[in-house]
Amino acid sequence: MTDMTLTNSRPGVFKRIWDLMGRRPELFTLALVILTVIGVAIANPDFLAVNNLFDILRASVVRGIFAMGVLAVLAAGGIDVSFTAIAAFVMYALTMLVTNVFPGMPIWVILPLAAAGGAAFGVVNGLLVHALRTPSLIVTIGTQYFIRSFLLTFIGTALFMNIPAAMDGFGKASLITWHGTNGVISTLPATVLVLVAAAFATWFILERTLMGRAIFAAGGNPGIAERLGFNLFYVRLFVFGWAGLLAGVAGIVHVASNRLANPFDLAGMELEIIAAVVLGGAKITGGSGTVVGTLLGVVLITLVSNVLVFIGIPSTLQLAIIGAFILLAGTIFALRNRA
Amino acid sequence: MQPQPAQSQKTGTAPFLEIRNVRKSFGGVQALKDVSVTLHAGQIYHLMGENGCGKSTLIKIISGAQPATSGQIFIDGVQTEGEVAGDLGAIGALRAGIETVYQDLSLLPNLSVAENVALTGQLVEADGSLARRLKLGALYETAAKALEQVHLPTDRAFLTRRIDTLPLATRQLVAIARAIAAEARLVIMDEPTTSLTRQEVNYLLSVVRKLLDKGVTVLFVTHKLDEVKSLGGHAIIMRDGQKVAERDVTTTNKAEIGHLMTGREISEARYRTEPKIGDTLLQVEGLSQGRAFKNLSFTVRKGEILGVTGLLDSGRNELALALSGVVPAERGTIRLDGRSVALRSPAEAIREGVGYVPEDRLTEGLFLEKSIQDNVTLPVLNRLRNFFGMISQRKARKLSEDQITDLQVVAPDVTVPVQSLSGGNQQRVLIGRWLTIEPRLLVLHGPTVGVDVGSKDTIFRIIQRLADDGMAVVIISDDLPELLQNCDRILVMRQGGIVADYAAEEVDEDGIYQTMAAGPATEAPANMDEEAAQ
Repeated sequence: MTDMTLTNSRPGVFKRIWDLMGRRPELFTLALVILTVIGVAIANPDFLAVNNLFDILRASVVRGIFAMGVLAVLAAGGIDVSFTAIAAFVMYALTMLVTNVFPGMPIWVILPLAAAGGAAFGVVNGLLVHALRTPSLIVTIGTQYFIRSFLLTFIGTALFMNIPAAMDGFGKASLITWHGTNGVISTLPATVLVLVAAAFATWFILERTLMGRAIFAAGGNPGIAERLGFNLFYVRLFVFGWAGLLAGVAGIVHVASNRLANPFDLAGMELEIIAAVVLGGAKITGGSGTVVGTLLGVVLITLVSNVLVFIGIPSTLQLAIIGAFILLAGTIFALRNRA
Repeated sequence: MQPQPAQSQKTGTAPFLEIRNVRKSFGGVQALKDVSVTLHAGQIYHLMGENGCGKSTLIKIISGAQPATSGQIFIDGVQTEGEVAGDLGAIGALRAGIETVYQDLSLLPNLSVAENVALTGQLVEADGSLARRLKLGALYETAAKALEQVHLPTDRAFLTRRIDTLPLATRQLVAIARAIAAEARLVIMDEPTTSLTRQEVNYLLSVVRKLLDKGVTVLFVTHKLDEVKSLGGHAIIMRDGQKVAERDVTTTNKAEIGHLMTGREISEARYRTEPKIGDTLLQVEGLSQGRAFKNLSFTVRKGEILGVTGLLDSGRNELALALSGVVPAERGTIRLDGRSVALRSPAEAIREGVGYVPEDRLTEGLFLEKSIQDNVTLPVLNRLRNFFGMISQRKARKLSEDQITDLQVVAPDVTVPVQSLSGGNQQRVLIGRWLTIEPRLLVLHGPTVGVDVGSKDTIFRIIQRLADDGMAVVIISDDLPELLQNCDRILVMRQGGIVADYAAEEVDEDGIYQTMAAGPATEAPANMDEEAAQ
C-alpha cells in the first residue's frame, strides 16, 4: 500500500500508460499491431509497400463486417457462434437464386436482400435466446448446426464457379488503383466501403442511440438494466438481428471477392472473429467494447494470418502466434480489471 | 419527467399514491397479505420492519419491478392500468415519477455518471422505445443540473467517468441525482444509510429534506430508529407480510416502534453468560489482500466468540472469505493451534477444520432443491463410504437426523428439499452441515440475515452451545445487537484495517457505530483520488 501511495503522488510513466490502457484497452491492441508491423518490416523491409497495405485491408473486410455484429452481441452480454452459418446460407442461397432466377439483379438489390435474409435468421436467434432463457452460446451452437445442415441437405453442395455478373463486378470494382514503381499494380477493392459503412453504422448505434446505451446497460448488469426500464427483449432481438444482418452482407462480400460461392466456406471462422473482438478490448462477459478497438483486433488477426508468411514463418505456426497474442491480451485485460 | 395529464387533473384531495389490498405470493409463500398504504405528496414515510417482513416486496411493487398478485394501485386518484391489476411496470412507475434508490443503488457499473443520472429520463421520453437518438447535449445538461444539487462535480471529466471507478458514497449521491434528474414525485430509498459514514448520512438527510421542501414524497426504508426520529414523518410498520401500524414518529417512542416491528418486547439480554475460554486457537498475523484489507492481526481462543463488524467497504466481508479460503489472503500468516496453515481454497479450509457459513445461504450455501440429508452430509461424504466405497445411505441418514434433532430443525424428515423450509430452518441446516466436519473454528458470516426473530433466538443458543463445547467462533456481521448479545470481543474494521478491539460487555451499539463510521474528515464524497480510480 505504501508504494501505491508513492506512485499516486508522482505517477511514473509505466503507471500512467497502465492507467490509460485501463481506460482505453484498444491502445494495447494498437501497440500489438504496431509491434507486429515493425517486427515484420525489420525482417523484410519490402513489407512496407502499398500493395501489402491494400492486401491487408482487402483481407480484413469480411472479418471486419462479421466482427461489427459480434461486437454488438458481446457488448450486450451475449455470444453468437451462428453468424458464419448464416453468412454461408445467405451467400449460397442468394447466389443460387440470382443465377437461376434473376440473373440481371443489380448489386444494390442483392446486398439489401442478403441483409434482410441474415437479419431474419438473427432475429430467430434473439427470439430463442429470449424465449428459452438459455445462454446464447448454447442457442447459437444449436442454430449454427441447424442452418448449416439445412443448407447442405436442401439447398445444395455444388460450388458456383460462375457467380452472377453483378456480384463479380462488385468484387472487381476498385476504389484506388496504385501503380508501383516496379510496375506492380495494386488495387483497393470497393468492398472496403461496405466495411466502412458497417463500422460507421455500428459505431452510430452503439454510441449515439438509446439502443446502444441499452446494449451496454444489458451487458453491464441485465437485472439493473431491466429495473431501470430498458426492454431487454428489444435488445436481444436487435443485437442478434444486427449480427445476422451483417453476416448476410459479409457472405455476399465474401462471394464477390472470391468469385466463388462455396457452401462449405466460412465454417469454423467463428472463434477467430470472436477472438478479434476480444483482442480489440471487448469483454467476453459483456458491457464493453469499441468499434475502433474491434477494427484493430481484426487488423491484428489479419496481419498475423496474412503477412507472417512474408518473413518465412510457416503458416502452421501462425495459429500459435495468434494464440500467444490472445493469451497476452487476455492476461493484460484481466490484470487491469483486477487492480 | 414530463408533466402529465393526471397531474393537471389533480383535485388536491387525492393522495399521490394509494395502494389497496395488495397481495403477493411467491410459489406457496405469501410475502404480502392484503397491504394498503396511502402516501401524500410532500410527506416523508418510513417503511419499517424486520428482515423478511415484506417491505422489500412492497417497494418492488410500488416501483413497478414486480407485479402484485392482486390488488390495486392509484396514482393521483387514478387507477393504473397494467397488464395485471396492480402492475405498474418499470416504465409506468418512472412515468408516474416514482424513483427507487435500491440498496445496490441500481447503477450500471460500466456506464458513465451522466448516463446513469440522465439516461432513464430519455428512455421515459421515448416511452421505452430504443430506436431513438441519444441526445448527448441534453444528457450532459440534465445530469450536470442534478449533480449540482447533490454537490458533485459537473465538469465533463466527472460526467464521463465510469461508475465502477467511484467510491461507494459518491455512487449513492449519483443515484440520488438520478432521482432528482427525473423530477421524481416519490423517491423510495432502500436502507440508504447502511454503508455510509455518519458525515455522509447527515449530508444525505439534508438532501432528503431539500426534496421534501420541493413537494417530493419520500419513502425511507430503514430500521435505524435514530434517523427516523431526526427526519420526522410517518412510520409504516410491517410484520409478517402485513401492515401492523402507522404512527407519527415524533410522538412515538423507540420502544413502541420496536415492539410493533418485532411483535414482542425486544430483549437485549446477552446470550453470552459464562464463557469458558481456553488456549489460543486462531492466530492471524499481518493478513493482507489487495485493497480489501491490510495487515490484520488478531487471535481467537478456544471457546471464545469473536465478532467482526464494519461498514460494507471496511473489508469485513473479504476477511470472512479469506478465513474460509474462498478468496485467499495474499500476505500474512494464519495459525491454527500454533501451526501455520494455508487456506488457499475452501477444501483446504475444511481439511484444517474451518467451517464457514456464508452470508447468502441461497446462492452460496445451500442446494435448495436437494434434501436436507444431501445438504448436511456434503462435506463428509468421504467418511460415509461403506465397504464398497459407496456412500452409505444409512450412515448419511443417521448423521443428518442427528444434526436436525440437535439443531431443532422443524422438518418432517431429512429427505425433504431444503427449499421447503423457512429461512431460519434453512440456516440451521447450513450450520448443521458445517458441524459435521467437527470444526475447530466456525466462521459465521451474517448468521441471521433474513431470519425471523424466533429462529434468531434458536441460532444464538446454538452458537453459545458450540462455544461452550470449546469451539472458536467468529461472527462477521453488521447486525450490532447480534454481536453485542453473543460475542466476547468485537473487532471493528474500517477501510481495511482493525480500528478497535472491544470487550463486548464494555461497549454499546452507538459506540461501535461511531468507531466504524468515523471516516477521515478530509475526504469529500466526490474525492477523485487515485485509490478510487480502479
